Amino acid sequence: MKHGKSWLPAHILAWAYAALLLVPLYYLLASAFKTNEEIFASPFSLPTSLSFGNFGTAFESADLGLAVVNSALVTAFSLALTLALAIPAAFAVARSTGRLGAFVEKVFSLGFLIPTFAALFPTFLLAAATGLFHTRMFMVLFLPATAMPLSVVILVQFMRTIPKEMEEAARIDGASTFGVLRHVYTPMCMPGIATVLLLNFLTFWNEYLYSLVIIGPDPSQRTVQVALPTLKSLTGTDYGVLTAGTVLTLVPVWAVYTVLQKRMQQALVSGAVKM
Amino acid sequence: MTTTMSTPGGTEVRPAPAKSPVRGRRQEGGTILAVPALVWYLVFMVGPMIAIFVIAALHWPGMLQPVTFAGWDNVRTVFDDPVFWDAVRNTAVQLAVALPIMIVCAYMLGYYVAQKPPGHRVLRYLLFIPGLISTPAKAMVFYAALSPDGLVNGALKSVGLGSVTDAWLASPSTALACLIVLDVWGGIGFTAVLFAARLGSVPEEIGEAAQLDGAGHWRTMWRVHFPVIRDYVGVVTMLQFLWTFFGSAQHVLLLTQGGPGSSSTTLSFLVYQKAFIAADLGYSQTVGVILFLVGLVGLLTIRRTFRQNY
Repeated sequence: MKHGKSWLPAHILAWAYAALLLVPLYYLLASAFKTNEEIFASPFSLPTSLSFGNFGTAFESADLGLAVVNSALVTAFSLALTLALAIPAAFAVARSTGRLGAFVEKVFSLGFLIPTFAALFPTFLLAAATGLFHTRMFMVLFLPATAMPLSVVILVQFMRTIPKEMEEAARIDGASTFGVLRHVYTPMCMPGIATVLLLNFLTFWNEYLYSLVIIGPDPSQRTVQVALPTLKSLTGTDYGVLTAGTVLTLVPVWAVYTVLQKRMQQALVSGAVKM
Repeated sequence: MTTTMSTPGGTEVRPAPAKSPVRGRRQEGGTILAVPALVWYLVFMVGPMIAIFVIAALHWPGMLQPVTFAGWDNVRTVFDDPVFWDAVRNTAVQLAVALPIMIVCAYMLGYYVAQKPPGHRVLRYLLFIPGLISTPAKAMVFYAALSPDGLVNGALKSVGLGSVTDAWLASPSTALACLIVLDVWGGIGFTAVLFAARLGSVPEEIGEAAQLDGAGHWRTMWRVHFPVIRDYVGVVTMLQFLWTFFGSAQHVLLLTQGGPGSSSTTLSFLVYQKAFIAADLGYSQTVGVILFLVGLVGLLTIRRTFRQNY
């Protein structure tokens, strides 16, 4: 009843758009198993053999293996640092009733208005000035700062739902402020922490422009997002290798998304709302 | 910006106006814990932001060149540069075309998904995919698809339209259009999921009441649901505005390098190009300041346009 005949155009349009999303992805996946000649002759056909030759070539020519390791390192350490900074800050803001707490919260909420991209060059200067230019280290220090507003604001929302009786009970048992943070607040806002982790995992793993400018082209330091586009020039126009490399960089995100689909959508949606 | 959000449990959480005297006394011990995050934020985000304005007033023709004070000279140079005006035009076209298409289509698609038609779960999964793919990966897909021997030309040839094939990214008349298509392609799906999530929390009775009054889905969608989530549409529009406005630099860099000529140079790419390719740092950061100000004005305008007015 609810979705009667009048819905037919809507069904068609919605699924047509879904197909439009899928076709390039199908093309991407199919091409990864083909040679240039096959791609040009029949872009839509299924690959004739499932050979992983293109993946091997992509892996070697752009040092993608090392790049994946670098990306994983940068992402993991940045995430850890983000939590180490954001959890105490959110704790302070959520519990405070004074003017200072409100001010700190304001600073972080205004952070959504700062377009990080515009500051690319000054950040580059900062990297040079701290002597961390062309290192992964600077990105590990820098990325958490970009994630701070969103992470703090999300965690504050979660921490405000924790009843203050929980803290009072812990206090009676002799817990210090730090103890309250560690044993009451952190365990109780695990869903919030998960949201922050997922959201930032995506941003950090996919970060491109800053990594390109600050880490630079050194294969021993660069992340996978920086390494990937180099395939374009390295291999001339071997689309098979290029698409194989692209598929490789998508695998981690795809795996996480498929397993944690629901949670990830909620994380991204709440992230966008907080903007 | 908004004061509510949905938690993974799906419930609305509102910042509680906690005002108990017990809490007030306790705060001194805790507030200091916000200091590291604050310092981090000031050093890595606010500092560079301020530096943009300083560098914009400098004459700095390259990293290792002597720096002199330029005052308003950079602004004059920028305004006299035809490339800058090309970039302004391209950015204006990009925003004027991409944003309305994206928001209107995404709203309708989001409404469709929120009605839970058959297959809506699969659809939701698919719509989200562009939100996961990194910019370089997206660009590489389009680079391969739009290349002279790629997917698009292959498709055109197979349906007998071989004469309209083009080197899409290398032709001045289509390069900018390709970038807009790339924005819209992924933007609709991702934004639709955001709208669907928000529409899902609108009480069903509202829609049912409208239908009882004889309103069709089209009317319900625009006259009933739209006003309810108007504020949220504004937030999402702001978000897409920022992404399109600032994020275009990456697509341009990866796909067209601003060319051919300056036919696909956008303002944000100009900032990048002048800083890291042309090494004209004062110029670059002057455009950066303009970018920042235009971005701010754009945000405020969108906010005003979509303000809840009932």
